[in-house]
Amino acid sequence: MKKGYVLLLMSLVLTISLLAGCTTSSNEEDMSVVIYQNKVEIGEQLTAFAKQYEEATGNKIIVKTTGGDTPYQDSLKAEFQSDREPDIFVIEGMGGYNTWNSKIIEFTDDEWIDLTDLEFTVDGKVYGFPVSVEAWGLAYNKDLLDKAGVDPATLTSQDAYREAFEKIDSMKEELGIDSVVAMAAGPDMRWVTGLHNFNGYLSAGLPYGDRTVLDKLNNGEVDMQRLTEYADWVELLFEYADETVLITGNYDSQVGQFATGKSVFIHQGNWIDPWFVQNGVDFPMGFAPHASVKGEHNAIFIGAPSFYVINKDSKNIEAAKDFLNYMATSEEGHNYMVNEAKMVPAFNNVTLKPTTPLSANVTEWMAKENGSYTWLQNDMPDGFGMGTLGPIYESYAKGDLDKEGFIEQIAKAIEALK
Amino acid sequence: MKRQTKDKLVFWLFLSPALISFIIVVIVPFFMGIYYSMTDWQAVPGIPVNWVGLGNYRSMFSDIKFQYSLFRTFTFTLISVITINLVALIFAFLVTREIKFRNFFRAGFFIPNLIGGLVLGYIWQFIFKSVVPQIGGSLGIDFIENLLILANPDLTLIGLITAYTWQYAGYIMMIYVAALLNVPQELLEASEIDGANSWHKFKSITMPMIAQAFTITSFLTLVTSFKQYDIIVALTNGGPTDIFKGEVVNSTEMLAVHIYNVAFKYNNMAEGQARAVIFFLILSVVSIAQVYNNKKKEIEM
Repeated sequence: MKKGYVLLLMSLVLTISLLAGCTTSSNEEDMSVVIYQNKVEIGEQLTAFAKQYEEATGNKIIVKTTGGDTPYQDSLKAEFQSDREPDIFVIEGMGGYNTWNSKIIEFTDDEWIDLTDLEFTVDGKVYGFPVSVEAWGLAYNKDLLDKAGVDPATLTSQDAYREAFEKIDSMKEELGIDSVVAMAAGPDMRWVTGLHNFNGYLSAGLPYGDRTVLDKLNNGEVDMQRLTEYADWVELLFEYADETVLITGNYDSQVGQFATGKSVFIHQGNWIDPWFVQNGVDFPMGFAPHASVKGEHNAIFIGAPSFYVINKDSKNIEAAKDFLNYMATSEEGHNYMVNEAKMVPAFNNVTLKPTTPLSANVTEWMAKENGSYTWLQNDMPDGFGMGTLGPIYESYAKGDLDKEGFIEQIAKAIEALK
Repeated sequence: MKRQTKDKLVFWLFLSPALISFIIVVIVPFFMGIYYSMTDWQAVPGIPVNWVGLGNYRSMFSDIKFQYSLFRTFTFTLISVITINLVALIFAFLVTREIKFRNFFRAGFFIPNLIGGLVLGYIWQFIFKSVVPQIGGSLGIDFIENLLILANPDLTLIGLITAYTWQYAGYIMMIYVAALLNVPQELLEASEIDGANSWHKFKSITMPMIAQAFTITSFLTLVTSFKQYDIIVALTNGGPTDIFKGEVVNSTEMLAVHIYNVAFKYNNMAEGQARAVIFFLILSVVSIAQVYNNKKKEIEM
């Protein structure tokens, strides 16, 4: 009988050791820098660049990409829960920082820091390397604006927009459009309303880097004056949007409406460029500022959507830093960012210019004095923009809420953040 | 070694791989989950985990979005259990008749089940957004042409149930077909001689004879409807919005989707886990009650 138990025990041990055998890590991975990133569209280009880097310097970089359908932050948590902690990973602003601040290091005397204004900083300390620059304003179709006799340079205030929208709306037939603006507020498009549009409330009309409205929001305080002015802007956009696209449209139907010349404006950013390239759309276009609150506006929302950060527990911190420096300072790195990955680089030593229409326009706005408003939408609490605010915009678009109801619900949601 | 000991050893030896995997991937995480639901865990290494007792459970029940989600999940489950079983039973009767292309129909009804939920969700989204208005347009009916199905909470729920029934009824039909083929023909013939009409035959012979299948199918439909996730994410993404107790809520955010959103979108892992524990309890109680109740109706030959 006793012998039996010993055998049982042995069989259990055997099975466990078999299971444990699956998790031995290879040596090669220990020596090289693992970069775990979230942009599927540049995965191949980044891998090719990493190979180029290895040939030039002999240091191996492994690129792992997750994203698209699998939410990056979830996969990243899984990666950390297992023992495959990456050396470089991606955060998307304050929310990511709050989650990961115990795991990331400060950059101190890296070369690239002096070459950019868009690094991720907390209390004056630099933590994140800007992956690229993205921007949005109200993108316009220059051909249609010319036809309607509207000069985009005049679109700087809510009054100017209202006048222009009325004029264009009265010429619908002539211009062959369905609606003035391609705007989407449906369940799939909450990032456009709850994050991008709402960022107007947070930063429009304020000097670059001003975080007062955001800080108030995070403390549960509402700036009623701004919110009321901002609601006028939302009303204006919704009023001149196509109902179907506004309420149930997805990304393709919104961008499609603009690309096929069925709307004059679109509330999107320069990331829609590849859509135009793929579909052979080539009319001239550019960005006009969002008049999110009262007053004159001469800036669009420019920022870095994501930042590379370095894992504090990485064995290859120096190698990881070298790679990022190489990307920002070498010609090969610039070529990768601009020509291969089609990004707008965040570094002012880059002389290459993007070729796609909206990205080229972004570099013009960047060169302007005071041409940028801050991106603060990613610094709100997790889930607040898309999860809490997004549905309120949808209800307003559908007419379940009127403007007063919209203001009241937004105010209530902010107050609940206390 | 005695024969008995040897048998025991073989028994445990064969059981151990399954048993160990089960303990590692089900039992251990289950109890860890209950523990985490009473903390402020965030799933990030290096952040200390603090005990908060029943705080997560308290905030859950005062959350209007959770109440609404619970209510909608019950509505969705109730209606889809009925429609799926009804449709499946009708299909099963049709394909066990002496009709032409019987096997073709059987395969045809079953095929939607082989399509993944995400793909299917997008297909139906296309149907509701593009095909229905097109049909309305070509028929010249403005009402249908301008109908935004996925903008109305109730229509969307009906749409969701339609898509789900379309996917799942074929599978349930197969179970009914197997049960129907096992109903003894001599009983039916005998009743016919005694003068029973089709309704009598169905009510007094077929139904009791396939009661066992009912236990299985209602259990399956109940549990899978309650846990529905992928079709919802693809078809509606939780929308459209509705107003409930003065708060804006997502009308098709069923419990599984709700839990995911709380845990990952709002990054409240522990709170999501607490909701998952309640989700598990509700589901166990409901399904055990259902199986117990149905079992009583089964008969043995």
